[in-house]
Amino acid sequence: MPVAITPGQFRDLPERIRQGDASAETELVHHFTRRIFVMGVVRTHDREAARDLVQDVLIAVIGSLRKGQLLDPDKLAAFVHGTARNLINNRLRTERQQPQLEPLSENLAQACLSEELEYAERTRLVLQAMNRLGDEDRQILWMTLVEGRGPAEIASSLGLSSEVVRTRKGRAIRKVTDLIRNKLSRTLANCHIVKREL
Amino acid sequence: MNCREVEEQGVLECYLLGRLPDSQRDEFERHYFECDSCSSLLQVELTVQEHLKLLQPILPPAKKASIRRTWYWMPAFAVLTLVLVAGIWWRARQQQPVHQEASATLGTQPTSSGETQQPPLVGPSLEELARVQPPPYSVTVLRGAEDVAEFKFENAMQHYVNGGYASAIPGLRTAVKNSPRTARFSFYLGACYLMTGQTSSAIASFRKTISQKEQPYSNQSHYYLAKAYLQSKDVASAKKELQMTVDLGGGMADEAGEVLHQLNR
Repeated sequence: MPVAITPGQFRDLPERIRQGDASAETELVHHFTRRIFVMGVVRTHDREAARDLVQDVLIAVIGSLRKGQLLDPDKLAAFVHGTARNLINNRLRTERQQPQLEPLSENLAQACLSEELEYAERTRLVLQAMNRLGDEDRQILWMTLVEGRGPAEIASSLGLSSEVVRTRKGRAIRKVTDLIRNKLSRTLANCHIVKREL
Repeated sequence: MNCREVEEQGVLECYLLGRLPDSQRDEFERHYFECDSCSSLLQVELTVQEHLKLLQPILPPAKKASIRRTWYWMPAFAVLTLVLVAGIWWRARQQQPVHQEASATLGTQPTSSGETQQPPLVGPSLEELARVQPPPYSVTVLRGAEDVAEFKFENAMQHYVNGGYASAIPGLRTAVKNSPRTARFSFYLGACYLMTGQTSSAIASFRKTISQKEQPYSNQSHYYLAKAYLQSKDVASAKKELQMTVDLGGGMADEAGEVLHQLNR
């Protein structure tokens, strides 16, 4: 389950990891997995490659943090991003040639798996929310996110004003986001309660 | 870069489409690695984008403005038609005897007890309510210790994600046989049975998953078990499982509630 990390806790993560706190590593994995994954998908256009990259990046980051190589804890996010960017660039350059990596420990693999489950649930909810949108709203999302058209172009194509297109696009995304936020948190909270009871 | 700039300049959409210059792309990535709000929105839009690509065949083609303009006349036509119908109705009403006025106005017939009969509500059929979308699955690639069951499962799920539910069944069966206590295996085996109309096998698999009490598979199994019961026309058992899904309150609760509501009508 994703853990919301407060700024204070976030600042402590590098030091906790350096001291060998396994739960800190899990928190780090939860916090950054999806960010790295999105970055990987966008840059490589390959979901499988992005999944591999998530592991490569997390292993590299955790390895560095265990050695205390991050001097400024406030720059953890930038450090993870920089590591991700370097590994993605390396991968794109060398394509199939991959570095030798140690497998993830069982706990961290489990953390990634829970992210995968959350992703699957998120996907289901997005589909559900999309089905609730009107044809025209879906079309606006399609033109924006797939065809890459701007509001003005969409507006002239659909006979609407640019402002209406912007508003409707924002509203459609908000509907999807709200549904995911509400239902996902309920599902995960429920799972958490059941696990505790077991 | 801040959230406001991201929104105003449409940075997020350009990023997803790979249209940002390298420097701006790096800047935006640095921003969303630190910003929960943009990171969350980005993930939603990426998922929406992926689903839209899958939905491409069923989306209507883009309407042209000229076509759209013809629809501007529709309200005027609707108002004109309404006025004409109202005029005809008013004239007819003037000519009717007083005792028939009430029934004519409501469009209903009085019963012997004096109550009015409502037209019967028409809901979805049992077959429609039994229809089900396969539970989603995204292929997991973890470099942990892989056993035979996990290997068979992942291979079978390659078929599953491509809609090959029948092809996935043998591999999933082997996975379940090798690792009978893994709820994930029996859950997706049940899903494959359900999608291929093998309802009794689906019911057995989902029951097994529920007994394993491993979340989220156990909770979700109640919903899919209900769908299996509906496919086999066992409405009473379906209602029981749907109620259980609602009571457990997971992500399927709303859908289960809607189906239950339809069944109770």
